[in-house]
Amino acid sequence: MIGGRRPLQGRKPGDRRVRVERPHAAFFRYTGPNEMTAKEAASIPTTPGQRLLARIRGIVLGRPLASEEELGERLSKRKALAIFSSDAISSSAYATEEILRAFLLAGAALAAFSFALPVSIAIAVLLGIVAFSYRQVCIAYPNGGGSYSVSKENFGRLASLIAASALLIDYNLTVAVSTSSAVEQIASAVPALAPISVAIAVTAIGLITIGNLRGLREAGNIFAVPTYLFLFSALLMIGIGLYRIIVLGDTRAPSPEAIASATRTTEAVGALILLRAFASGAVALTGTEAIATGVPAFKPPESKNAAATLMVMAGVLGVLFVGITFLATSFGVVPIEEPVKQTVISQVAGIVFGGDSIGFYLFQAFTALLLFLAANTSFAAFPRLVAVLANDGFFPRQFSLRGDRLAFSAGIVALGLLAASLVVIFGGDTHALIPLYAVGVFIDFTIAQAGMVRHWYRERPPGWRARIAINAVGCAATGVVAVVVTTIKFLDGAYLVILLIPILVATMLFIRREYNAQEKELHVRDDIVIEGPHREQRVVVPVNGIDRAVIQAVNFGRTMSPDIRAVFVTDDPDEGDALRRRWERQLPTVPLVIVESPYRAVISPFIAYLDVLDQAWPPDKDAPITVVVVPEFVARHWWDRLLYNRTARRLKAALLGREHTVVADVPYRRQH
Amino acid sequence: MPELVAPLFQRAVVALNGGPSDARIVRLAAEQASRSKGELIAVHVVEIDWTLPLDADIAGRSDEAQRVLDMAEGIAESVKVRMEPVLLQARDVGAAIVDETTERGADLLVVGVPYRTRFGGEFAIGRTIPYILQNTPCAVWVVREPMPEEVA
Repeated sequence: MIGGRRPLQGRKPGDRRVRVERPHAAFFRYTGPNEMTAKEAASIPTTPGQRLLARIRGIVLGRPLASEEELGERLSKRKALAIFSSDAISSSAYATEEILRAFLLAGAALAAFSFALPVSIAIAVLLGIVAFSYRQVCIAYPNGGGSYSVSKENFGRLASLIAASALLIDYNLTVAVSTSSAVEQIASAVPALAPISVAIAVTAIGLITIGNLRGLREAGNIFAVPTYLFLFSALLMIGIGLYRIIVLGDTRAPSPEAIASATRTTEAVGALILLRAFASGAVALTGTEAIATGVPAFKPPESKNAAATLMVMAGVLGVLFVGITFLATSFGVVPIEEPVKQTVISQVAGIVFGGDSIGFYLFQAFTALLLFLAANTSFAAFPRLVAVLANDGFFPRQFSLRGDRLAFSAGIVALGLLAASLVVIFGGDTHALIPLYAVGVFIDFTIAQAGMVRHWYRERPPGWRARIAINAVGCAATGVVAVVVTTIKFLDGAYLVILLIPILVATMLFIRREYNAQEKELHVRDDIVIEGPHREQRVVVPVNGIDRAVIQAVNFGRTMSPDIRAVFVTDDPDEGDALRRRWERQLPTVPLVIVESPYRAVISPFIAYLDVLDQAWPPDKDAPITVVVVPEFVARHWWDRLLYNRTARRLKAALLGREHTVVADVPYRRQH
Repeated sequence: MPELVAPLFQRAVVALNGGPSDARIVRLAAEQASRSKGELIAVHVVEIDWTLPLDADIAGRSDEAQRVLDMAEGIAESVKVRMEPVLLQARDVGAAIVDETTERGADLLVVGVPYRTRFGGEFAIGRTIPYILQNTPCAVWVVREPMPEEVA
């Protein structure tokens, strides 16, 4: 073969042909003149260490996906419901209990059975309003970002950053709270595991992080099953329960303990207690906004699918929440703390399925599993919100980049680390974390709904007055809940969230200011033709003698500028003299400067010499670019890297950021 | 009664001429190959005229020649079929395709033909397709582009 062309004989003497080799084909694909796309092989690491790491990453996270496979990674409505709704749906497991507990704490146990259902219906109506509002957000803001996008367009930067900060905090808390709470469930079933509950929670967060790093579709595959198992078993429980209550008339009186604990009559229940119960039960709404944040994760038509999924989620959550509350109040169930803690939902399941039945244990297992995976909603929504913020310059840009599996890896890892830190700091104690929870999300709901009011007023589509009315009611209701939740929980820890929001906003504004400054600095007008370089260049080669690496660096330097000099820093004048004699003999056209260093420093005298060169430059001329050409010997093994180039590395570090200076490495590769 | 089902193949050569029919014949062959677990060889021949040596550095420098084969490879990959792209230089396209098909032991050759008319009159098939039909030992599928609307 000559020059990549292999001559071949044909069947007839005149039919010779030449096969042309295509060396690019393994790595690139031509898409047009001077346009090519890199193949997977072009991204494969070149060193054995990097290859090993890539192989391990491939085993843990799966093979890297090409950008064109992104559409295949999008979520169907079925998977999206599981991924984005696990948080919201899991809250039906404890929202009823929160309402009952609010009444019990106020000494109004009897009122709980009269008012819990109306309160849950009111919350379900609020859920409908919030869901309707976010449905419109999905359609009006198809690029995702949810309330951040709404408030950015309707209220400007500050409000949008407040909304984003509140959400970011809440997503972190959702992960920390749900995993801590699931671990508590496990520890109460197996007390021996209690001492390592923090480790279990951190491991769980690690596994969910890895699951999400494998990409959205796989995360959907992994996490869909538990969500649907809970969903169908809870609906079955409600169906059987309704049959028993309505058809068989199986209602029960409250337990004597509950009656004994009552210090108020039903008539004495004031608005404040009802408000508290409403605010406590409103935790059921957390996670409702996640779908609007992740619209681009849906299969096309994204907005329509997201909106449909959101409405299904709201419907399912409403049915589960009101249904479980109806069963709990009809069966006279209250939360039991002693001797063994029994949640409301487990008592309801015990009555419906039978306390020792397999159905009861399965339902309990599905509930615990779903509580674990409620964290997953945050893993779907947080990285997307951060990516939108990064695209707008409020977060470091790497958060907007997709990883090997097309997931927003930086956001996923950041959420995993932050949530794990929270779990460790709070010792995996759910009760310590709960006061911080749900504050941010209601601030977010309020801002988003207010934004939608403004949106309708501005756009005025058909029926805008009704839409404004719905969003205004929602805004007022979520605003009240935000104030109540913050007030009630303020001293228990909500103040931390209130403090954190402005800190986050200030940080994001700072990042944006930095990016703006950089953009301004690097901006090039697009109406000018760029001429060749106008600044002079000079080359300085630090040397330690004459060897092949030095010669290679000097010759490279000669190609860049005739103004070249070598600099030898030494503490031994005799050595300097010897080098000068040899240099003048072998490299007579390149001046050698010897800098004696009686204090034995090498780097500082070299940089001082560069400073002197700069100062000697005529002040009426543009400062020249000083190219420091560093000869480097490339070691063959990781261990012999320790033996070479220590000074070169220190020199490069010292030159980093020096004005008008370019550092060029000239590696000399070891031959044998 | 002849068998109406299209013959399956183990190895097919798809001859590409850089025209609009390329994508069509590659997709057709790739879909068949996907069903019969066959393999594909995409051949693109750059004709070298007699003023230049046959091994002149022409095709290797042509982005267009590379793009033709890369496009074919992309289509085959999208239906998960293995395709080997082959770039040839020859004096005569027909002979090079026939020889490559024969040497590779292919049991099918797929070629596309544009709808062209001689001086705006009758359809002109050119000289490559008749040569291929006369000399290729294996089965040949010829896929003609649709007629332009004004002709149809």
